[in-house]
Amino acid sequence: MLELNEGLKNEFRRTAGALKKRFEQRPDRARIRAYINESSLGRFVKSRKMSDNELERLMEKGGVAGVDGSTNSTGGMFPYVITLQQAMAKCTVAQEEIYFYDVLCPLFIGEDLNEAEYQQLVKSNLAVLEAQAAISAVKKYRPAVMLIDGSLVRLKIEAKELWESLKAEVLKAGTLLVGVVEGISTRIISSALKDAIPDAVSGACDWELLLGVLDVGEGLEVTPGCFKEGFRTVFMRTSFDPKPIGIDLLEEQYENLELVENLIFTLTPEGSRGIPLWLDLIDKKVKISDATMEGLLKAYLGKEYAEFLTPKRAKRSP
Amino acid sequence: MQVVGLTTPQEVFVASKERKFRINEILVIDDPHQGSLIGEVVEANSYNRFIPLSINHDFVDARVLESLERLGYSISEDEINIAKVKLRNEASFPVTTGAKVHLPEFWEVRDLLVRSDPEGGLALGEIKNTEETASTMDENLKELFYVYSKGEKRKTKNVPFLLDLKSFQQYPHIGIFGGSGSGKSYGLRVIMEELMLKEIPAIILDPHYEMDFSIREEDLEWSPDFTGSFKKFQVGEDIGVEFPSLGRQDLLDLLSAVKPLTEAMSSAVQMLHRRGDTYRSFSLRLQLLTEALELGRSRIEKILQQDLEPEEREKYKKMKELLEEYPNIPLQSVQGIAWRLWRLDASGLFNYNIKPVKEALLSGKLAVIQGPIWLLQVFSTYLLSNLYRTRRDYKDGELRGESRGEYFPPFVIATDEAHNFAPKGYDAPSKGIITEIAQEGRKYGVFLVLATQRPTLLDETVTAQLNTKIIFRTVRGHDIATITEETDIGAEEARRLPYLPSGDAFVSSPLFGRTVAIRVRLPYTKSPHTLNPFDEIRHHRKRAEERLLSLLEPHLPIYETNLLKVLQALNAEAPDMNLEVRTLKESLENLVRSGKLQKTETPFGAMYHS
Repeated sequence: MLELNEGLKNEFRRTAGALKKRFEQRPDRARIRAYINESSLGRFVKSRKMSDNELERLMEKGGVAGVDGSTNSTGGMFPYVITLQQAMAKCTVAQEEIYFYDVLCPLFIGEDLNEAEYQQLVKSNLAVLEAQAAISAVKKYRPAVMLIDGSLVRLKIEAKELWESLKAEVLKAGTLLVGVVEGISTRIISSALKDAIPDAVSGACDWELLLGVLDVGEGLEVTPGCFKEGFRTVFMRTSFDPKPIGIDLLEEQYENLELVENLIFTLTPEGSRGIPLWLDLIDKKVKISDATMEGLLKAYLGKEYAEFLTPKRAKRSP
Repeated sequence: MQVVGLTTPQEVFVASKERKFRINEILVIDDPHQGSLIGEVVEANSYNRFIPLSINHDFVDARVLESLERLGYSISEDEINIAKVKLRNEASFPVTTGAKVHLPEFWEVRDLLVRSDPEGGLALGEIKNTEETASTMDENLKELFYVYSKGEKRKTKNVPFLLDLKSFQQYPHIGIFGGSGSGKSYGLRVIMEELMLKEIPAIILDPHYEMDFSIREEDLEWSPDFTGSFKKFQVGEDIGVEFPSLGRQDLLDLLSAVKPLTEAMSSAVQMLHRRGDTYRSFSLRLQLLTEALELGRSRIEKILQQDLEPEEREKYKKMKELLEEYPNIPLQSVQGIAWRLWRLDASGLFNYNIKPVKEALLSGKLAVIQGPIWLLQVFSTYLLSNLYRTRRDYKDGELRGESRGEYFPPFVIATDEAHNFAPKGYDAPSKGIITEIAQEGRKYGVFLVLATQRPTLLDETVTAQLNTKIIFRTVRGHDIATITEETDIGAEEARRLPYLPSGDAFVSSPLFGRTVAIRVRLPYTKSPHTLNPFDEIRHHRKRAEERLLSLLEPHLPIYETNLLKVLQALNAEAPDMNLEVRTLKESLENLVRSGKLQKTETPFGAMYHS
């Protein structure tokens, strides 16, 4: 602390003070519930843990599938980068795991791509892989429910074409397509209650306003029209963690909202951060670790060439 | 299966997705550079990569896992099994990671597992977790005996553990350690049975009266008949001590076994006992001396001056002589010795000799010596010294080329509660001879099998000579420490000692060069007292009740007013029951309570009827 520049310290103190003030002015739990109840924003619902019978019935209908993707890149200077991507789908009723993967390198893409465009490409490519995995799993297993790690809206935007066929497939197969959003970035509540809530928190993210407002197992079903068209969304506290998660559903399947809420609540360990264990398991399997990257680089590029893809930073002494 | 992770020349980790590992399993590692390496599983673990102990430092609740199972996901699908494997012999350099590992065929590990054949070895039990290897075993080694596992008696499916008889010459003595209920007695019984099957002369000291081999274990397809292979001897009833053959030290040991002798008593015995004394001559001397000391010299002299029958005169003359011969022995000491001698005689000890035991050994039988532990301690001293001397004299004579000695065979001496016979820290009569046999018995073909629940209390010289040790469950920290010190048992095994199931044991033997985990085979015979004491009470009560009921039957119905007549009849029929009116009435009430009889009130008082 002693070495810290005095000016920097003051600057930080000011910002932290402003933040603190904002949090202090945040309406309390009862107020926020009152605001929401008074508006037509949505309604609070309680979920329950499903019984063994209900779960077995779901299994007979095809079980629960999950889809997740992972990206990892070598840390070199753009465009001397290799990006590895894979998406995986797995259904509770089958041992098989469905993988889709891709390796990208800006040097070989041809078009004159800048870094931001490359990042966008990486993002949408991952969505494409995930959509492919999801479509393949639906065709193969016709699961009762398919959980996607991340919002459905993201898939729709990033993988437009495949999204349409995924949607068609799930509707045909009767699979409930569910997006599970860990980091909610929407601002539905603050925009709907613009006039009611204090200025200090205007424009707050939904999770900020809902932090600690919901009971464990409680959700806020957002009224249709307040959210992106074609989707239904619920903010739900699925574990002891006070931060809610988001659950997306297709408008066409909205009558199954309660079932989906109960299922996600059932599959989430109470002490966890709120994500269904099934998605956590898939996340662990699909993840491309730094060690894997390094191993692949060493094995296939060789130590002498790996230099081209290693940033100078990496050589910094600690 | 393959080697994973960091390896050393001594230890590696082996992982498998399909197969769960078991402790003590033998695995063969195919090292690409060093060839086949043999190792033993010392730790077995399983874990699920995707279900960590914690997610965000919290336990995954079981309910969620169960829900996933209901949805069709099998948790074991993602399980990985990992074994820590200790190499049998240190490798020249660390094992190659990634090397393939396989379960051995029998021929690959034969030398490690079987060091004998069924004819030449004692089949003590099965080597644990060797089913797969056993399937490729020679036919003559398969299904040699029964084992008891998970409440079932079945033929063994594992590799047999055979203790080679020929190796006894090199490694003569066996120790059996284990707490009560650990299966130690079964182990001892199995060894005795095996010795009988091989017709090896043996003696077992049996303070618990449990070494009887005539009750066969039920539900076995086949079991040998041991009734002709062993003989039971009760000390003082079948066998005993020949008083004239007792040395002075033997006599001292015998007397002090009844109750320790005082300094004065010991020296009195040394003075009073004469070579060639019979029990009669020695006890008479004591008796006369006692009387003489009580009377005193002057009174004896006075009596001698009176007119006496020649017999009487002889007696007082003798008394006077004794007083003159032993002027310094106090009366108290003589009385103390006499009392001890009388007690020994009352046990019947001096009425018999040990000839029947020698005969049993000569005919290749097992001699079971039974008696209370105090008597066994003394008697065994005499018996073992005598037998050992006989064998030694014969063998020494043979070595010197003198064939005049009568043949006496090599034999095995076994005992439970060995710490009573050769205790650490204090002297016991039998300690000397046991120590001697422990140190020199090998030369003469006299072998020890010593069982104890407290190895710590066993004399260290003896413990050090026990080459083969069979270790059952041991809970006491002291004893575990002793065991670790005295055997090649490793830290992993020592940690498991308190948790060994009954009947499982580790065998540490220089012959195998490693600790072998075995399950002792099911004995063919049962101990005569396996009845639970509480069952015994119940049985006894039931029998007594049934007997009374059958005696009462002809007298039914019985009126309360007429009890006396019934009582007389009953007492005439069964005087041992010693019934009185009061006890008969109580018994009748008890029978009513248990529903065997009914009681009806009548104008003539209560009536008991069926």
